Amino acid sequence: MLMFILLPQAAWAMHIMEGFLPPGWCISWGVLTIPFVLAGVFSIQKTINEHPRAKMLLAMVGAFAFVLSALKIPSVTGSCSHPTGVGLGAILFGPTAMTVLGLIVLLFQAVLLAHGGITTLGANTFSMAVVGPLVSFATYKIVQQAKGPQWLAIFLAAALGDLLTYVMTSIQLALAFPAETGGFMVSLAKFMGIFAVTQIPLAISEGILTVLVFNAIAAYGKDELQDLKVLSKEA
Amino acid sequence: MTNMDKYAYSSKLKQTAPMKKLIFAMLALAVCLWANSVLISVLVLFMMGWCTVCKGGAPVALFIKLMLLPISFLIIGVLTIAINASGNKDIFLFSIAAFGTHIGVTKLGMHQAAHLFFKSMGAVSCLYFLSLSTPLVDLLAVLRRLKVPKLIVELMGLIYRFIFVLLEAAETMHTAQSSRLGYADLTSTYRSLAALVSTLFIRAYQRSNELYTALEARGYDGELSVLEEPWETHWTEYIPPVTVNLALFGIALFLKRYAGGVL
Repeated sequence: MLMFILLPQAAWAMHIMEGFLPPGWCISWGVLTIPFVLAGVFSIQKTINEHPRAKMLLAMVGAFAFVLSALKIPSVTGSCSHPTGVGLGAILFGPTAMTVLGLIVLLFQAVLLAHGGITTLGANTFSMAVVGPLVSFATYKIVQQAKGPQWLAIFLAAALGDLLTYVMTSIQLALAFPAETGGFMVSLAKFMGIFAVTQIPLAISEGILTVLVFNAIAAYGKDELQDLKVLSKEA
Repeated sequence: MTNMDKYAYSSKLKQTAPMKKLIFAMLALAVCLWANSVLISVLVLFMMGWCTVCKGGAPVALFIKLMLLPISFLIIGVLTIAINASGNKDIFLFSIAAFGTHIGVTKLGMHQAAHLFFKSMGAVSCLYFLSLSTPLVDLLAVLRRLKVPKLIVELMGLIYRFIFVLLEAAETMHTAQSSRLGYADLTSTYRSLAALVSTLFIRAYQRSNELYTALEARGYDGELSVLEEPWETHWTEYIPPVTVNLALFGIALFLKRYAGGVL
């Protein structure tokens, strides 16, 4: 019954699959991600100590992100792909909390949906749960500071967060597999070229969807948004 | 997804200690990645396939279907690595002239691509063995034993349970929207999806609040303690999985030394 929204169609582009990265890179990206995860754990722990309710909420948000990744959104070019929810989560909860949630969601996707993998967990977490949320959050804050309209801030945050996740993924792939002729830069250009075709339209779609979702939440869930300030304040 | 979860619960290997399965799968994964050899990868693939299908009782068709799942990523990734551009035509096995340069496949690129393809397939089979034989709840118990921060394990447990609650809600909404032509064209698809996602979010928020209230009413004080299934294992039980992987490791060493990395 549930399979219809769960068919992981076109979802492969998101994560580096199991076994694709050489062991050295798996370990390096994993080590690089650890400080971010620890920072996230400490910040969540602090929030929970002050507001015990936050634990349930964070868990719900994690599940929400997982369910989002199982939905298909139509891309402007007509093909389908799935939203990441990274932008939405980063704006609502701050980037540090999203790192921990992202790690858990990625692990679940590997074990339950066979997206991504265990050895590439470090690399995927770095691109999707560290770089993506940080970019989204920073973009949102910058546009807000510049007194830009809120819809623009949300759109740019979601779209850029998405896009830079892929740029990071391309960099990771290019670093692991530099081209024979021309090395890292040529390889990066190759991977970016391939991702750009599928991911630029997807980033725009996700941007549009995030704006629509945010408007709807703002309209129907004012009280909830007020409470959420608790979580994003410390981030 | 729920499918994989279902097979994990009904697997004949469910009663095996999760730590044993984890060690078996992770060691094989490590050997497969380290060896970077077509032969070892194929061996791992068949070993994991045999364990999943014959020992675990998962349908062969399911295993094959799952193995084909990541193939689109794999093919695109592998082709990107194999195909190179260079002004010098001589380095290619075969090439075409385009954009004032030559685009083609070199011997080394081909070699690298083939190895990568089999290595990934072997690694994915290890992952499938684990997910088709071990329910996530058992894995959480292992993580707890491995001293993963309590907060992370607890969040994982909660998220795992909420996933099904939210999936059901999402599915109901999706059905309701589709039956009213909510996904008939692009504009309405965006509108429907936005409505679905935002409602789901508000629902999730309310649920988490209700859950907290319910827990508090039952004496929740910041920790969810549950009884774990006691897995009685003797250290001798770890000998077979480790031995198999040591044997694989030995073959890999042998191949590295004498076959010169061709296989």
